[in-house]
Parts: sequence; structure tokens; C-alpha cells
Amino acid sequence: MLQKATFTLSDGATLDDLVKRDTNEVMLRVMSDEELYKLEMERIFAKTWLLLAHDTEIPKAGDFVVRDMGEDQVIVTRDRNDEIHVSLNVCPHRGMKVCTAEAGNAHAHRCIYHGWAFRPDGSFIGAPVEKEQMHGNRMSKDQLGLKKARVQVYGGLIFATWDIEGPSFDEYLGDMKYYLDQLFCRTDSGLEMLGPPQRFVLPCNWKIPGEQSGSDGFHTLTLHRSLMEGGIMGGTAESIYDNAPGMYGVDVSCEQGHSLRCLEAAQTFKMFSDMSFEGKSVEERLSMLPPPGITKELIPQLFKNLSPDQVEQLATIPPQVGGLFPNILVAFIFAPRTDGGSSGALALHTYVPRGPDKVEFVNFIFAEKDAPEQVKRDMLQNSIQQTGTSGIIEQDDADTWPQIMRNARGVVSKDITLKYQALHGHERPEGWKGGGLLYPGFTKDDTQWNWWMAYYNLMAEA
Amino acid sequence: MVNYATAAVEKAGVMRGLVSTNRVPLGSEIYNRILETLYDEAAALDERRFDDWVAMLEEDLLYTAPVRLTRNGPNKDRDVMRTMMHFDDNYQSILMRTGRLSKSAWAEDPPSRTRRFVTNTRVAECETAGEYEVSSYLYVERSRFDVAHNETLSAERRDIWRMVGGAYKLARREIIVDQSTLGMSNLAIFL
Repeated sequence: MLQKATFTLSDGATLDDLVKRDTNEVMLRVMSDEELYKLEMERIFAKTWLLLAHDTEIPKAGDFVVRDMGEDQVIVTRDRNDEIHVSLNVCPHRGMKVCTAEAGNAHAHRCIYHGWAFRPDGSFIGAPVEKEQMHGNRMSKDQLGLKKARVQVYGGLIFATWDIEGPSFDEYLGDMKYYLDQLFCRTDSGLEMLGPPQRFVLPCNWKIPGEQSGSDGFHTLTLHRSLMEGGIMGGTAESIYDNAPGMYGVDVSCEQGHSLRCLEAAQTFKMFSDMSFEGKSVEERLSMLPPPGITKELIPQLFKNLSPDQVEQLATIPPQVGGLFPNILVAFIFAPRTDGGSSGALALHTYVPRGPDKVEFVNFIFAEKDAPEQVKRDMLQNSIQQTGTSGIIEQDDADTWPQIMRNARGVVSKDITLKYQALHGHERPEGWKGGGLLYPGFTKDDTQWNWWMAYYNLMAEA
Repeated sequence: MVNYATAAVEKAGVMRGLVSTNRVPLGSEIYNRILETLYDEAAALDERRFDDWVAMLEEDLLYTAPVRLTRNGPNKDRDVMRTMMHFDDNYQSILMRTGRLSKSAWAEDPPSRTRRFVTNTRVAECETAGEYEVSSYLYVERSRFDVAHNETLSAERRDIWRMVGGAYKLARREIIVDQSTLGMSNLAIFL
């Protein structure tokens, strides 16, 4: 049963022409095609779970932030009962934005156009001049609330979907939950977002950063060469391709398209220190090289919140970078400082579509809520210096993606294919405890191909 | 405890422009020298003479760019969010950035062609002798590759310049950008 309900673009191209499952290729035109973009908004961004915010952004009743689900703007709020709601920022009266600020606190959102008002949970309060009943007499107040999305909070991260009866959040995460728990659910108080996200717009299609977030480890050796030159990733400029730092580990993935790169702590440790991990217990190793963001004081909490197998993985081969389909990048990176500290950097990005040829890069920066203020300060600085707007790593990505975009418009270039043919194939390493699709050794194209298969599967569903 | 919440409002209000009321008048010797220094700095950055630029920096430099947030109602002017920044740098990290630019920093190789316009400069004396608060407007045009449209950025800069050995050196810079969502695709250039 290879054939699924699918689509045909106006020039006759089908999904199978664009994403070639038999040869592991994707046509470059997927990055610029406007018809395809519209279908993606319907079949992916109006369907699947999307990351919008973190619950520490809106700690008090009435707090809100305005975010985007594809090109649909939503208000993310906390109500008096401490429940989080996600409602479309579109007044059901005349279509105006109900909320014109990006963030704030309000116990009622009153549309500035005609004054229809809504509670933080999206329900309709009423229109001005109550005696004239300006909401009409055909629909009851219950029917006139803001359109609501389905919400799930995981590790403080606020996700939402328009697919009210669709797959549960657990089904969406699949086998990745075991690994993601090690990053987001490892301490008593969890993560804290250290301020509003950085936001900036790049002239490229959302899938260009999107497919990279499917754990493209290989690009680091060349595009991020300056990390090796600067000694941040170990090795020297001359030995980059011989030593291939950070390339060997276990890439974990699943058919939902998510993935994470797990890198051996012993190797990471060697980059930063002359000491050896050999013969050391889990506790000793955690204390020698705590996972990014974890202080020595927080280590006992890892044992409390995670299973022994999960803690052992954190101490041995922790998940570090990767992404969640369709548009989330995860970066939990060791970040040694010139002054000898190494509290690390914790950042998430969403790549929000802004038309076929634009994407908004939204950078969420975190620390453990119970970490000392100085550690939070260090981590904020690390994350800003490495990721996002001015980050020395991601400056290079932001300059590369628009050039791929330019190529995707050429009448000849658009038929060039992206190749995902350096494949390892699923292989379970001996003694590996977690589930999912596993790719030990050098990081290859498998996880990114799984990203495209998740794309294929959603796009094939009408 | 810092309140990091996005929804939180900075109660102290927003610091903009000059704090000191001890103004250095336009056209005075000090004003002219400082303005000349700002022009020299813009030229060094536009011409990618990073060693010359670093020589204008003090070793206790703090170099930051807070994010902006659209707010409404009673908080509509409290829109500078100093919890989160686009730049959060000091002298050491600036050296790390300029050092990188001389190697494989593809974000600026090939380099952007930039033009920094510095205007609306106001100067006031700080409490410490020889230190001056300098507020200026910055407009940057940035040309990338053979793209016919420039990326642009407008901002206010709140600096402290210190007289050291006969020259003014930069000790503090806060760059208050105007966009809450930047239209510039990265900040691989200095502002």
C-alpha cells in the first residue's frame, strides 16, 4: 500500500515526484513552490502540534503572549484557575486582532474596533451597549468565543494544535519522550525562560532550517568550522576532517520525524579537560561534567525525576542537539567559557512560516529555574553569544539558508534534488535502553530522511 | 530575583537617551571630539578595520542590545526588555567575535558592505570625571552578495565614552533597536 490520498500540483507534479521515497531525494522546488506552501499550511501547520511558548513566560493569572501557529496568530493565556489557553487572535465580529500587544496582563481582551470582549479562556463576555445586544440574536454568547486550539503543556513548554480530535501529544512525541524527558523534565522546578524570545526574519522557506533541525550534524564540520578554529569544539583547524569532533555518537529518531543527537560525554569531556572518565560512577561522572544547565546541587534531582537508565544516559551519552517535527530546533550545548566556567547553553528555536520565501526565527533561551542567579546570567550570555540573532554559530546558518532559497527559484535549479543517500540504517547499540530508530556511529542522513518521511505522511493526508 | 517573565513589565519604566542633565553643548570642544570619535568608529567598522575598532574599546566594556516588545495601554512605553538581548557582550567576547571574523566566519565571508549613519548625537557629563554619556541614532544599510535590496536597521545607542590617554574610548554601549522582530537576517555586524 504505497499509494495514499495525495495531491497533484497545477503543473502535474505529485508528492511522490517531490519527495522521492525510492531514491531518498527531495526536489529543490519544494523550497519555493507557492501551491505547496498553501498545502503545508493546511496539512501540517493547521494539523500537528506546534510549540508556542513556555509557562514561565506567563506566570500570573491574566498574563498573555501573542504567538503564531503557521500564519494564524494566537493568544496564549493563563486564566484564574491556572489553566493555559490558546485562542485565535481574530475577533469573530469583524476579524480584527483582539490583542494588539505582544505580551502583557489582562483579565479581559477588548477588541479596539467595536469593543467585543473576551476572557483569558477565549469565552465571549459581550459587546458594548448591552441593551442593544450588538452581538445579534442568532448566535448565543457561548457560540461567539474566540476559536480555541487544543493545548498541551510538556516540561513547561506550551504546545497547541487545531486538530482537536487528532493524535494525542504522547502519540506526537512517540519514542522521543524518553530522551526529551532528560532535557525538559529532569529537575523539580523545571526550566525557566530567561526573557522574551529573540525574533528575526530570514528570506528563506521554513523547510530550509526545518530539515536541518532533523539533526544535520555533518554541516557543523564545515559551516561551523570556526568552532574548531576557536577551540570551542576541540581539535585544531588543520585536523577538523581527520578528527571530526562531535560527529560520532548515537542519533535517535522516530517515524514522527523528531530526532536528537546523543554525544559521548567522555569525548566531550576530553575536549575540555585532561581528566579521564574511566572507572568513574554515574554520580562521579555527572559531577565532573554536569549536563548543560545542571549544577552540582541539582544532580540529586536528576535521580528523583528520571529513571536510573535515563540518568545513566545523561552521564554517559546525553542528548544534545536535534529537533521536533515540523519546525523546532533543540540545543542543549556544553559551552566552555574563556574564564573556565561551563554552565552551557539551552535554547529552542521555532521556524515560523511567513510566506513561501520567508521564515521567522524565534529563539527561546532557558536555564534551570532553581539554578543560582549567576548561573542563569552565564547561560543567558552563552546562549546569546552562540545562538540566535548574533550567535557566532547560527550567524553562519542564517547567511546560508537564503542562498539555498535563491537557488530554489531557478527554472533549472528547482529540479535539482537534495540528496539524503548517506544512510546508516537502524541499528540498536548493545545495551541501549531507549526506544526509537537508532543510528550509532558517524552522524548521517537517516534522521533528516525521517523528517522528510514525517513531512510526506502529513502531506499525503487530505 | 530577576523577573524573566515575558508578560512582566519593568516597573522602573524605560531608560532612554541621556540620564545626566549636565549637558555638553553642541559645538563645544568636547562635543566635537566625541562626534569625531563616533564618525571614526563608524568608518572603522564600515571598512572592516576591526583591530582599529578594538583599540577604541575599554577592557571593562559592556556591549548589549535589549529586545523590544510591543506593549499597549498603561505600559505602552515600557517596551525595552532588558532581560533578553540580541547582543550580550564584554571585551573578551568582542575579541572572540573579531577573532572569528579573521578566520572561517562564513556569515561575513564574503563580507557585507555596510554604511553606518550616526546622527542626533547628544552628550552629557557623567559623575566620574572624564566620562561622557553619549546618545546617538544609528541607521545601518547592509548590502549582502549581489542582492539588490539592502537590509537595514535603525537604533538608538546609549554609550559611555571615557577619555584615556588623549583619546575617547568606549566603556558602555546599549543598542536599543526599533524592531521587535528584526528584519536583518543576523547580527554578524557590530552596531
